Amino acid sequence: MVTLVLIIFLMHYSAANRSEVSALEKWLGDVYAPLQSGLTDIQAWTQSLGTGFADKNVLKQEMEKLQQKNHILFVENQQLKENKAEVERLRNLLAFKDENTAAFDMEAARVIARSASNWYQILTIDKGSTSGIEKGMAVVHPDGLVGRVERAGRYSSQVWLITDHELAVGAIIQETRETRGIVEGTGNDSIVRMINIPYYSQIEPGQQVVTSGLSYTYPKGILIGVVESIQKEENGLVQNAIVAPAVDFDKLEEVLVIKSFLPEGEVLIEGE
Amino acid sequence: MRLLILILLPFLAIFLQSTIFHSYSIKGTVPDLVLVFVVFYAMLSASNRSVGYGFACGLLEDLYMGRMIGINALAKALIGFIIKRFQGVVFKENIWVGIIAVVIGSLVNALILFVLSFTSFTVFHVDSHMFTRVFSQTLYNSLLAAPIYVIYYRIAYSDWMRKNR
Repeated sequence: MVTLVLIIFLMHYSAANRSEVSALEKWLGDVYAPLQSGLTDIQAWTQSLGTGFADKNVLKQEMEKLQQKNHILFVENQQLKENKAEVERLRNLLAFKDENTAAFDMEAARVIARSASNWYQILTIDKGSTSGIEKGMAVVHPDGLVGRVERAGRYSSQVWLITDHELAVGAIIQETRETRGIVEGTGNDSIVRMINIPYYSQIEPGQQVVTSGLSYTYPKGILIGVVESIQKEENGLVQNAIVAPAVDFDKLEEVLVIKSFLPEGEVLIEGE
Repeated sequence: MRLLILILLPFLAIFLQSTIFHSYSIKGTVPDLVLVFVVFYAMLSASNRSVGYGFACGLLEDLYMGRMIGINALAKALIGFIIKRFQGVVFKENIWVGIIAVVIGSLVNALILFVLSFTSFTVFHVDSHMFTRVFSQTLYNSLLAAPIYVIYYRIAYSDWMRKNR
């Protein structure tokens, strides 16, 4: 009974936003990080080989006609394609980083693992406190907002995605600028929900939802997603919107952690 | 050696769940291998430590996740307890017994997690997606249960393991 009470207390304590995580949790994260990082590398390598073999069937007919290409060159070519795709992704990331250099201090990181449980929406990245990553930092991708760092180990960090049911982000509709609401995760990785929208708001499907900037965590204007549908609450005073996240979380391979950012006003002064 | 294997199994399970199984997810759902190992330990182990083993495995999972620490520990300990109750009355040589135990364990696990989440005021959204996840995970666990049960059973009843007991 004592154990049960202790565990329930521990659950309650660790469910809320903790200011600091235990050394044991950090250590465990760091133990897994090199293994997960290594496996991610192996997966990427085998994926490039797999792509090569999949395309091989298509190219086989050509090979028969031309009777030239050999297998080694083909595999090399596929690996180059994979590298090219990676360069393209990193270039986009870099371009995004350069565009926002004045406003944000960012650190690029690689996704090395995902949630071990179906109940939480989390990612593990290969950068930790040794790279200046701290709890509470926003994580973005050129496509939009990814989430927030919740646990920073020495060499790895855990990121809670915006689709996680524990995360809430202040948001506005980009087109109208008038609606301030809260975007909360639903646990479903393909939708989030914008709540507390006043009944008179001119919100429509297709409008873009961006961060409102009303917090120290998320800079203003980062794309969260696109409104899919609107639901009116029974009381008639507020409405909710189902929002499709801008980021495809299943395909995330690299992300950017915003280590610090200047509030909008200060950026404008610098720009002037 | 036996103890080392029992410790390494949940470590390996978490590692696989967080990495490779995301590439082979069923409707975005990954299996709960930790649960599968706890169920098989409770079914096949002669010792009465299935509650403790379930608790330790769940706690490891909780510490790795860093959220609601204790929720999986309690859930897995209860599953260890429930499955152990049936150990003496089932025909363990039948692979279907292993699969059915995993199906029951998966459903009970989801129910316990949902109920326990109330204690920390963190209630999961109950919607069709949640039911899809529970169903997909149960299906995935039971699919993996068959080959794992065969291997686990052979190792558990091997002469080598009996000597190391």
